[in-house]
Amino acid sequence: MEQLQVTDLQVEFGGLRAVDGLSFSVQEGEILCLLGPNGAGKSTTLDLICGKTQPTAGSIQLNGVEISQMLEFRRARLGIGRKFQVPSVYKNLTVDENLSVARSRRPGMWSALTRLSLTDARESAAILDRVHLGAKRAELAGNLSHGETQWLEIAMLIAQDSKLILMDEPTAGMTIQETERTAKIFRSLSDSHTLIVVEHDMSFVRTVADRIIVMNRGAMLAEGSIEEIEANEDVKTAYLGH
Amino acid sequence: MSSKFQYDLVALVIFALVVAFGVPAVMNYDGFELNTFARYLALAIVSMALSLSWGTAGLLNLGQAATFGMGSYAMAMHLKLRASDGLPDFMAWNNVETLPWVWVPFESLTFTLLAGLLVPAFIGGLIAIFMFRARIAGVFVAIITLAFLVAFQLLFINQQGHTGGQNGLTGLAQMSLFGWIVDPYSMGFYNLVAGCLVVALAFGVYLTHSKFGLILRAIREDADRARFFGYNVANYQTLVFCISAALAGWAGMLYTLVLEFASPTYMSVSFSLAIVIWCAVGGRESVIAAAFGAIVVNMLEGRLSDVFVEGWHLILGVIFVLVVMFMPRGIYGLLSESLQKLRGIGRPRDHRDAETFPNT
Repeated sequence: MEQLQVTDLQVEFGGLRAVDGLSFSVQEGEILCLLGPNGAGKSTTLDLICGKTQPTAGSIQLNGVEISQMLEFRRARLGIGRKFQVPSVYKNLTVDENLSVARSRRPGMWSALTRLSLTDARESAAILDRVHLGAKRAELAGNLSHGETQWLEIAMLIAQDSKLILMDEPTAGMTIQETERTAKIFRSLSDSHTLIVVEHDMSFVRTVADRIIVMNRGAMLAEGSIEEIEANEDVKTAYLGH
Repeated sequence: MSSKFQYDLVALVIFALVVAFGVPAVMNYDGFELNTFARYLALAIVSMALSLSWGTAGLLNLGQAATFGMGSYAMAMHLKLRASDGLPDFMAWNNVETLPWVWVPFESLTFTLLAGLLVPAFIGGLIAIFMFRARIAGVFVAIITLAFLVAFQLLFINQQGHTGGQNGLTGLAQMSLFGWIVDPYSMGFYNLVAGCLVVALAFGVYLTHSKFGLILRAIREDADRARFFGYNVANYQTLVFCISAALAGWAGMLYTLVLEFASPTYMSVSFSLAIVIWCAVGGRESVIAAAFGAIVVNMLEGRLSDVFVEGWHLILGVIFVLVVMFMPRGIYGLLSESLQKLRGIGRPRDHRDAETFPNT
């Protein structure tokens, strides 16, 4: 079933069309990787889907509901989660508190007023063991290393439990072993989640991607499996600039 | 239950015991001294109210004095009506012949107590909705609330026939609570104010350790990130603004009882800034510390002005500058940092990671 349907999406920043007539769809449980050279509009596409940026034209439908004009917190409640390129965790909160904020099945104020701050973190404690942060639960997130910060944000997205998760360069700054572990987690996530991943690490993409879309100058250049993409002449030209 | 919550609960109990038993004993149960200290306790409530919006949610409300003034005037209006036969004296002097309709319901104490909490909450909420729906943040919140405060005070002073203008409301009766005539120089009254402060602090401690408080801290740090987790940031900010305004109104009501008059200086810019200073000296992150800060600064003010009749403002100013420069997190920050250092001696920790990646 199509979970996300993007049609003729377009956004302009002062005359520059960062995304220009982009259309694609994502199936439930799929891992879709977005590739493309710098400035191709990959992160902007994620921004448009999660509501960080408003499109100038086009439509975005989540399970048949038009969301392109919705405020970002409403989209989040409909089941869209986002991991940012620069890891955005709350540096002045502890790891546990970060997780508790992320676990937002009941984002209303009444439930927040009647629960203690760490109740939700306790319910999702197992997630931290999964990303090997179990020993650092009381640590301030600002004291974590770069790799650990990436893990924490991934853990937060698992705790948020969104149906559609948008990942912007999740393995940036990770060691090879850490990247492998991330790939494993992503594969296990796809049982119950749909993922759109922007990534440059080709070996990672090879491991996790069900399907790949290559973008260039805000539009789709190619779409298909990893083998099809690697054989595509247009893609080679776009990357190498010949 | 987190250890921080336990610390706060212990601090709350110690604070309550000191305020309820220690202070009156030190004051020799002297009515005048107790009244002076009750004044500090009332001001401690408005300081802890500011710490909720400023310290927890990062919204610097420079109009806190306006909501404080609303509570204070609500109580004063009730007591003025009790003191006068029909029409308050100052209205007659201003050629107001019939009691204005806004005054009429203040005959009732129940209405007065409710209005002293709900009117500030409502007006605070109204401003908050406009600000936070438009995603106004940071220094602009301070500017807007300050502008509101100035306009509100002017309005009050200009409506002399209705509000007593520059003179405020004086010649008030004593409140009668279930037949108990509240004498502001009695031990019973001191206990009432102290009890109100402890209840307000207990509420504040719970709030800061609830998930609501956690989300507010998350919003303070990165409001956008909180939105992507599905939180309606504007609603959270509006609610904490309302709560803070209601607590300020509560403090204002008690303040009128302590001093037995209401004055438009309660809504002045300098008073509003003073609240910010108390909060900053004590430590805005903790409601108890903010209350403590209000008490300490006001005591200091009292003692300094006794000893240095001319230069006490200067000395106080130097102290504030030193606090801001060397203790940006206030007394609370100083205590919690030294506590952490003490713990660190027993349990050496590896800080290498944090230092290797200073920007992460």
